[in-house]
Amino acid sequence: MGVDRFTVEGLHKISYFRVKKKRNAKIFFGNAVTEEGELLEPNVTSTFQSVCHETIEMSGPIIVLSQNTKRESGKKVQIDNITAGKTVADVIRTCLGPRSMLKMLMDPMGGIVLTNDGNAILREITVQHPAAKSMIEISRTQDEEVGDGTTSVIILAGEVLAVSEPFLQQQMHPTLIISAYRQALEDAVTILRDQISTPVDVNDRSQLLSIIKSCLGTKFVNRWSEQACQIALDAVSTVVVDENGRREIDIKRYAKVEKVPGGTMEDSCVLRGVMLNKDVTHPKMRRHIVKPRILLLDCNLEYKKGESQTNIEIMKEEDFTRILELEEEYVQKTCEDIIRVKPDVVFTEKGVSDLAQHYLVKAGITAIRRVRKSDNNRIARASGATIVNRTDEIREEDIGTKAGLFEIKKIGDEYFCFVVECEDPKACTILLRGASKDVLNEVERNLQDAMNVTRNVLLEPKLVPGGGAAEMALAYALAEKAKSLTGVTQAPYRAIAQALEVIPRTLAQNCGATVIRTLTALRAKHATGGTTWGINGETGELADMKDLGIWDPLAVKLQVLKTAVETAILLLRIDDIVSGSKKKGGDSSAPAPGGAADQEAMRE
Amino acid sequence: MFSSSLSLPGRRTTGSSVRTQNVLAASSIANIVKSSLGPVGLDKMLVDDVGDVTITNDGATILNLLEVQHPAAKVLVELAQLQDQEVGDGTTSVVIVAAELLKNADELVKQKIHPTSVISGYRLACKEAVKYIQDNLTLTVDELGKDCLINAAKTSMSSKIISADANFFAAMCVDAANAVRVTDNKGQAIYPIKAINVLKAHGKSARESLLINGYALNCSVASQAMVKKITNAKIACLDFSLQKTKMKMGVQVLVTDPEKLDAIRQRESDITKERIQKILNAGANVILATGGIDDLCLKYFVEAGAMAVRRCKKSDLKRIAKATGATLLSSMANLEGEESFEASAVGEAAEVSTERICDDELIVIKGTKARTAASIILRGPNDFYCDEMERSVHDALCVVKRVLESKTLVVGGGAVEVALSIYLESFATSLSSREQLAIAEFAHSLLVIPKTLAVNAAKDATDLVAKMRSYHHSSQSKPEHVNLKWIGLDLMEGAVRDNRQAGVFEPAVSKIKSLKFATEAAITILRIDDMIKLDSEDKNTQSYQNAYECGQLDG
Repeated sequence: MGVDRFTVEGLHKISYFRVKKKRNAKIFFGNAVTEEGELLEPNVTSTFQSVCHETIEMSGPIIVLSQNTKRESGKKVQIDNITAGKTVADVIRTCLGPRSMLKMLMDPMGGIVLTNDGNAILREITVQHPAAKSMIEISRTQDEEVGDGTTSVIILAGEVLAVSEPFLQQQMHPTLIISAYRQALEDAVTILRDQISTPVDVNDRSQLLSIIKSCLGTKFVNRWSEQACQIALDAVSTVVVDENGRREIDIKRYAKVEKVPGGTMEDSCVLRGVMLNKDVTHPKMRRHIVKPRILLLDCNLEYKKGESQTNIEIMKEEDFTRILELEEEYVQKTCEDIIRVKPDVVFTEKGVSDLAQHYLVKAGITAIRRVRKSDNNRIARASGATIVNRTDEIREEDIGTKAGLFEIKKIGDEYFCFVVECEDPKACTILLRGASKDVLNEVERNLQDAMNVTRNVLLEPKLVPGGGAAEMALAYALAEKAKSLTGVTQAPYRAIAQALEVIPRTLAQNCGATVIRTLTALRAKHATGGTTWGINGETGELADMKDLGIWDPLAVKLQVLKTAVETAILLLRIDDIVSGSKKKGGDSSAPAPGGAADQEAMRE
Repeated sequence: MFSSSLSLPGRRTTGSSVRTQNVLAASSIANIVKSSLGPVGLDKMLVDDVGDVTITNDGATILNLLEVQHPAAKVLVELAQLQDQEVGDGTTSVVIVAAELLKNADELVKQKIHPTSVISGYRLACKEAVKYIQDNLTLTVDELGKDCLINAAKTSMSSKIISADANFFAAMCVDAANAVRVTDNKGQAIYPIKAINVLKAHGKSARESLLINGYALNCSVASQAMVKKITNAKIACLDFSLQKTKMKMGVQVLVTDPEKLDAIRQRESDITKERIQKILNAGANVILATGGIDDLCLKYFVEAGAMAVRRCKKSDLKRIAKATGATLLSSMANLEGEESFEASAVGEAAEVSTERICDDELIVIKGTKARTAASIILRGPNDFYCDEMERSVHDALCVVKRVLESKTLVVGGGAVEVALSIYLESFATSLSSREQLAIAEFAHSLLVIPKTLAVNAAKDATDLVAKMRSYHHSSQSKPEHVNLKWIGLDLMEGAVRDNRQAGVFEPAVSKIKSLKFATEAAITILRIDDMIKLDSEDKNTQSYQNAYECGQLDG
């Protein structure tokens, strides 16, 4: 007997094994094999269903995995992953540097996002390929961790993947490449921290401003960068809290950006206090109070039923009126409680009934209702008040007196409530004005980046030169170090150095310089010790970043490196993608065609 | 349509074909995980129907996420899960061994040896193998010194994504396991690794993962105005919510006097207030509750300078209670029917603080009084990375625990398998019954581990295994060469080396258990000679696919 007859079920090409000893070697492809099956016409065997029927007597094909599962393995997966990574990087390549362009993204609802922020762009893109998804994730990580460098991280990760491809083609084992990358990352972090970075004095305002400026240089607000820098620095230094030895800078909670369309960018400012998009509840209430006494509540100023289910059986007619009276009395009592501490302004998170308004107006108290919890917290920080829940427990200490001015202003078509001129406010609102909503959204994103940069510098006062200088210096140092390595790992180690050059290269590309000439010149500069030389993103010429004053915080650069290399490692380790469907009998119309293996999981 | 004689709709397969089928199914399962074995094994990316991605190297996780249909293949999936629960590590190798055992058994059955003979041979071989491991191949922790713990953890991690940082993580795992050590009432130290809280936060790099000597809680304080750091914390753990009291289950209160209505409302908020006062009076300044804490209560905590955390996980609170010596109270009622809060129910810790990690906040309880606790915070570039790190760290923790508890190790890198295979082959020749063949096949099957390791590393498997066999043969036959039994594979160099010196260790329990499990699973599948598969019930919905299957569309 010759080779055993077998059928090949075309879904997956996975198993390849030899059955030893007995008969001639047989090779099974696929996870559906008929043993001792009748000789089937090859074209009949191409679909599972037909095989199933003709071989029902003799055991049929063996289905191990669900037929909805698609599986790819081996080199194809690795190359696919790399391609996916590169594709994602290509999407936002033009968003790097001062000559970057904006992208206009349209979401399914028809909304428009206008941005050059890496994270904001990728967030809006729907990708199919799982590897591309993990690329997009890292941009988010970068955003959450340090707030800036979201574009560079993607570009660098894509490049690290791209430089690995030749090694895979040369049959180098991924684990070898990975160990070299790890080593390179370790060295890069130490070099960056110890040799390239310079400390900065956080109390020197002009120095801080120049850092923020280099961050904003690549952004839309470039034109107003002077003002935006001031805003970012002021806002961040407002919310710094030093609490027994630890420094806390919570931008998310205490520096709120309020966007009001209209006016010009020059009207934007940081308020020494808080602004809310609210009007007073009653038109007769005062709209301008100097040195207000502020009371913050998070309870209703209206009658509210108890939690337990209570029924009242009324026997007498008087009782009914009594109930109504009680409700009024309750409101009156709460108002009296409030009036007793003589506040000028009352903010509450809940509603204020008409009756309560009446009492408050009579007492000359201004009331603002339905304030957001987060806003209330900010007012509490700015004015020194405590949020009170039960009015009968209001005490003198709960009143905030640190605010200098309360006023209602009309901007455009809406009324806004300002609590400003606070002494030592620990929370602030940034008022942004601008031409349109989309522009404001982009300006807000830029400001967030700038504030995060400021925060990073305040937390870790170390800087590295920007404009690709740090990357270039690192690349040179790593390439030097690679020479001392022996063994196979040398090549992938040097590849990391090569990948780092993508940042200056992209900068040069984006401003239209001759890439090869500029980069060669830059390399030469670094070889002769000019570690702070980089590319002037405006002109495309070489420049000393020290003179230009372009600096990035060390924290951002470190995070870019770590995230990019580690993601590349993660993706390189994969040799198998199984995209399975957990749903039973997902698509009934597709009779599992033989070419399913060729159907790529990746639909870009 | 159905050629079987069953009255139910379904089909029946009998005889050798069902066995072959099962063996093939098992083999293809093993083939799926094969490439993830060993220090040079690679990862798999699994994508589910909603597009969620899992990247993993862990055999049990891979098989869990695959939708396996074949019943025999399912046995192997369960086998991997069993190994995961029992030992925590070695899930890939157990599947590979089981599949290889089956494949070889099938060959024997095809040579007309009755399955029961094969089964009894396998049983005997397994018993002998376990005995041989225990007598000859184990090393005790005392012999090897403290480093062996770290080495064992490193071996477990070597195949995982954190292999490059194995030194760092191994030390971390050993420290964490030591931190949660408790002595049970028999005086034996146990290491409940479940008490180690592993948290994930993306950001920073893997090397910046932290081990906290204390408990990290993935919650934040209820109000922004609360203090962020409390030293000498007194911790109260509550398993109820501090909300406005309300009657349960539609109890209705019938009031006749309208004045009383207001009193009820007053009382509702006062009850909670009194409770809080009692808790605060007992000296507690950190209050952790599983339920909610009403906004209206927050002010009391703020004024008392206390920290209140709402919606903690109950499992977390149980551990915190244990670690700090607090009692997890499910209600404040005492025997007298009154409500009270005993000062003894309050636990103590040196410091409680909120820390900002990534964009999130954590509450870290340090210096717990009653027992030490440990938490590991894993950092990585994205969630997939963190998830995989968590699995790897869990495996490594399991290994450390096993080693600490059993204090015995074996040498890894295929050494044990080759030694066993040589031993069993000679043992087989000493038997004169049919089992001899089965035992020889068992011995042969074990070689699949070193072979797969070598193949994954793209080395010459045949050559390396032959070398190893010769070394182990001489170690067993010549007393002066006994130290050659530690010879195992060096996959980076593609050579053989003394793995005892190289520090490649695995817990002996793990090896023994995986051998036993694999044998049992193989036997289970081998015993099957008949498979009846019922068709699913819902035949009335005639879909396109059904029509296609029935051949109605043909022609």
